[in-house]
Amino acid sequence: MKTVVLNIALFMLPLWLHGCTAIEPVSAWERGYLADPAMQWDRGKREAKFAGHVYTSKEASSGGAGAAGGGCGCN
Amino acid sequence: MSKLIMLRTDSRLVRSLGATLTALPAYQSALADAPPAFTEVGLRYSHYSEDSLPEERVIFGSPSRYDIDVTQLWIEAPVGGAWSIALDVQNDAMSGASPWFVGLGLDGEPGVIMSGASIEDNRVEVGVTTRYFWADGNAGLAISHSEEDDYEALSFAFDVAWNSADNSRTWTASASSSNDNVSPVKERIPVFIDEESLNTQSMYFGVSQILSQTKIVRIGLSYTQSEGYLTDPYKFADRRPDTHDKWTLSAGYRQFMVNMDAALQADYRYYHDDWGTDSHTIEIGWHQNLGKHVLAPYLRYYTQGEADFFSPIADRSQPFYADDYRLSSYGALTAGVRWTVQFGDWGIEAQAERYRSNNDWSLFDGDAAPALVDFWRATVGLSWRFD
Repeated sequence: MKTVVLNIALFMLPLWLHGCTAIEPVSAWERGYLADPAMQWDRGKREAKFAGHVYTSKEASSGGAGAAGGGCGCN
Repeated sequence: MSKLIMLRTDSRLVRSLGATLTALPAYQSALADAPPAFTEVGLRYSHYSEDSLPEERVIFGSPSRYDIDVTQLWIEAPVGGAWSIALDVQNDAMSGASPWFVGLGLDGEPGVIMSGASIEDNRVEVGVTTRYFWADGNAGLAISHSEEDDYEALSFAFDVAWNSADNSRTWTASASSSNDNVSPVKERIPVFIDEESLNTQSMYFGVSQILSQTKIVRIGLSYTQSEGYLTDPYKFADRRPDTHDKWTLSAGYRQFMVNMDAALQADYRYYHDDWGTDSHTIEIGWHQNLGKHVLAPYLRYYTQGEADFFSPIADRSQPFYADDYRLSSYGALTAGVRWTVQFGDWGIEAQAERYRSNNDWSLFDGDAAPALVDFWRATVGLSWRFD
């Protein structure tokens, strides 16, 4: 498993380095595409909350997307 | 979202000319640091349905599993020039049966003993969020209460986001706390506790960076600590540690494709906890603008390793043990599609998703659990904005 993690890290490293070195200054009036709803981090607040609750209830993992809602999710 | 932004995002020409009049922060690309310009009310209905277990994996009980009807209702409004407030109400109506424990079948393979009679339960969650906006950021405070027959949770959350001087980088931090009480219903299957409590604290720190006029990236780190009763009271063979520490490292990337009027969405999360579980989650989405319509298909791959104390048939001689499929090693594939349309002040949405899991799809070694879950979920929703 360590090999898999290492491979992913090695795969992502050039992307991050590329990202860090390829930052272009973007003026306020050049952010029309960035403002498109397509560029949001989630598919809507309520959908994100519902999907998060479903996955957290059925998988061992949680976190990484802000505070979770309440509820047992035992079954 | 203001009419100004709606007009802009409806026009490729206007967007290509870069008509943004406000300096949009990097953390939430579609919204400036200002309260919403409209009041919005909305209603969503979702149905969640788990597949029945294959007959050959069931030793006793009905193979039928859980169905949940979820209703979400919300209102979100600006207050004055710098505040917003949102009220969210969610009702979950649950029915069905769940795995009780795993035993050895006549064929020598692990099989599931189900909880028997259908369980009926109802959960109601009410949440209020207030948010304050200023020129370089915003901060939110949320309180939420969730109650069902056998479980009650009260949680608080605080988050803050602030932008760099040129608004190309946004730092985000959040903290939350939840106090839960479990008091299992005893008439269905034998349970061995009357009432127990659980406290959970969580924190998150992240940064997002605009890379160009069409690209943005973010990374985040979270830590969650739980202390209290973490055992599942409805599992016959389940005994877990009373503390649980979890870490995540997440990354996201968005790229707008100008010629296609669409965006590529990619997200990754690595998870690690002190119960011995690691997991990877990768999600790829495509957001296609089609005039007033949006079509957004997505694929998600999830894989986890088993917890240290998991075994297909729980070893009750150990200090901790569990046969819960959710602690086993498996992989899961999810495919979904979301459709939205905006008619003036009215918004309509529909979404469907299929989730399948299999021990063979895991990147981690580990024994297969016989009760792995597959499910469908589907949603329809309606929202209305007004001054």
